[in-house]
Amino acid sequence: MSLVSAAYLAFVLAAVMIYYLLPGKARRWWLLAASIAFCAFCGFYTLFFVLLTAFTTFAGGFLAGRQGKTWQRNLACVITIVFNLAIMCAVKFYGVMDLAAEDLNNFFGASEGVREFMLYLVPVGMSFYTLQMVGYVLDCTWDRVKPERNIGRYLLFATYFPYITSGPMNSYAVLSAELDKSETAVFSIQRLKEGAIRIAWGFFKKLVIADRIAVMVNAAYGDHITYTGLYTALGVFCFAIQLYTDFSGCIDIVLGTSHLLGIELNENFNSPYLSRSIREYWRRWHITLGSWLRDYLYYPVLKSAPLVKIGDVSRKALGKKRGKKVPVYVGMLILWFSVGYWHGGMWTYIIGSGLLHCLYIVSGMLFEPLFEKVRGPLRSDRLPYKIFQIVRTFILVLLGFVFFRSRTVPEAIDMFAAFTRAGGIAFNAQGIYSMGLDLANIIVLIVSVAILVAVDIYQYTEDDAAEHRSALALVCSKPAVVSWAVFMVLVLAVIIFGRYGLGYDSGAFIYARI
Amino acid sequence: MTREEVFAKLNEVFRDVFDDEDIVVTDETTAADIEDWDSLEHINLLVAIERSFDIKFTMGETTGMKNVGEMADKIMAHLG
Repeated sequence: MSLVSAAYLAFVLAAVMIYYLLPGKARRWWLLAASIAFCAFCGFYTLFFVLLTAFTTFAGGFLAGRQGKTWQRNLACVITIVFNLAIMCAVKFYGVMDLAAEDLNNFFGASEGVREFMLYLVPVGMSFYTLQMVGYVLDCTWDRVKPERNIGRYLLFATYFPYITSGPMNSYAVLSAELDKSETAVFSIQRLKEGAIRIAWGFFKKLVIADRIAVMVNAAYGDHITYTGLYTALGVFCFAIQLYTDFSGCIDIVLGTSHLLGIELNENFNSPYLSRSIREYWRRWHITLGSWLRDYLYYPVLKSAPLVKIGDVSRKALGKKRGKKVPVYVGMLILWFSVGYWHGGMWTYIIGSGLLHCLYIVSGMLFEPLFEKVRGPLRSDRLPYKIFQIVRTFILVLLGFVFFRSRTVPEAIDMFAAFTRAGGIAFNAQGIYSMGLDLANIIVLIVSVAILVAVDIYQYTEDDAAEHRSALALVCSKPAVVSWAVFMVLVLAVIIFGRYGLGYDSGAFIYARI
Repeated sequence: MTREEVFAKLNEVFRDVFDDEDIVVTDETTAADIEDWDSLEHINLLVAIERSFDIKFTMGETTGMKNVGEMADKIMAHLG
């Protein structure tokens, strides 16, 4: 079930209404029933794999978290994790198979049947729920949480419907505490207003911006002969907007839905394109994935005996200051390969979302003294320099997105070549219209993106760890007539300008396929 | 080992890891107070502390400490 569909809104409406009519103790069970039903709506295989992962991690967490011999606990943890990650990796490999199936279809001139069947098999949101549940098993092993003994409570944590398709991921300690609030959650107009505006904002981002700008992206990425030079740059820039509005729009719908139920999930974005460095970017983009990988992969790897040994050897060989960085570089390589692989088994993801970012960060650390010399007297706290850093970081991110969006690595390289290639059509208004959007649509797009940028700038704080301002809180703090007017404007914008309706198939959320 | 002795030793480790002789850690010191203390340096710091005190933090402890005060509590618990 797509989150941008009338069916989803009807589902949420029914789920929320019945939720508040039920006594506190019964709500958890209602949410569980709704979540299982939601997974079933997403397809039989989604339900099957979610429950398989849920039951195995419940048992694994119990065995790994009980008092006993350490080796027995570790063994239970390793078996559970390997089993579930193997399923996830196999599905990631399916992405590669999917591409191969498409090639086979093209080669033999067959129908889309094979590909559709393969896509049907791939469960929705596996990357998100697998990591969340693997995190639970590790928490049990490391005594961060006590193993859950109530299967019903655990199943709700595992299948909670707002997060299941695209995250955000939450630790067991945080999400179970939030789910406990279902017993005491009180319905209020304020809550309804906040949730409704957030969901409407998510629909706006997805249907007015992401699905509209996708037309230009598809044109630029689909035809490297006609669209070259500035068109290529425009296509690359537009994809960054598409991916951000698509993914963060989805998260807005998820967080808004959960807020209606009185259950707060972690934020996943914090004005990412205003980051001044790649490291900062990853603290602002897909925040819950970054936190998960830091706590459950990067730290354990760096604290492992082989990496500590590498650190000792490198300190002796290279001196204290440079030597201590070596295990960090090794840990980063493992981390970023995993980030790329997690996005999909293909090299386009491994390079675009992983290794390229690793290269940026490691070379940034290696050449930091040189950069400081080059910067010389330039004041790093001045606005022009900060803007330079933001633009530089954004361009580096765009380079990675070229791989991320392309079907294959050669296709991505050809996209870079297209930027310098001559022979495409002249860059003018007619040429831009030929990418698929007429003047009216481009005006809608520019105004919508301007609103998006204004919201991000309003919410931006230089310290990414600091509490940031919320545009939603600002709107909801105004008199009811103002905040409901904002809601209505968003709804009308989605109805009038949204790309949907009979004959229009809204694109699936990009991250739901991940 | 008294809490004061733990802090004195911690101070040495912090100065050594972050290469800054001016660092003085207190109960309330957090990563936000020390410029180079980020997620990349965090494990280097913990490994240095483990060696200095001859203890071993569990994985659960690596991310659960809110400030240096809590860190000192954990160290004292390990030292018994």
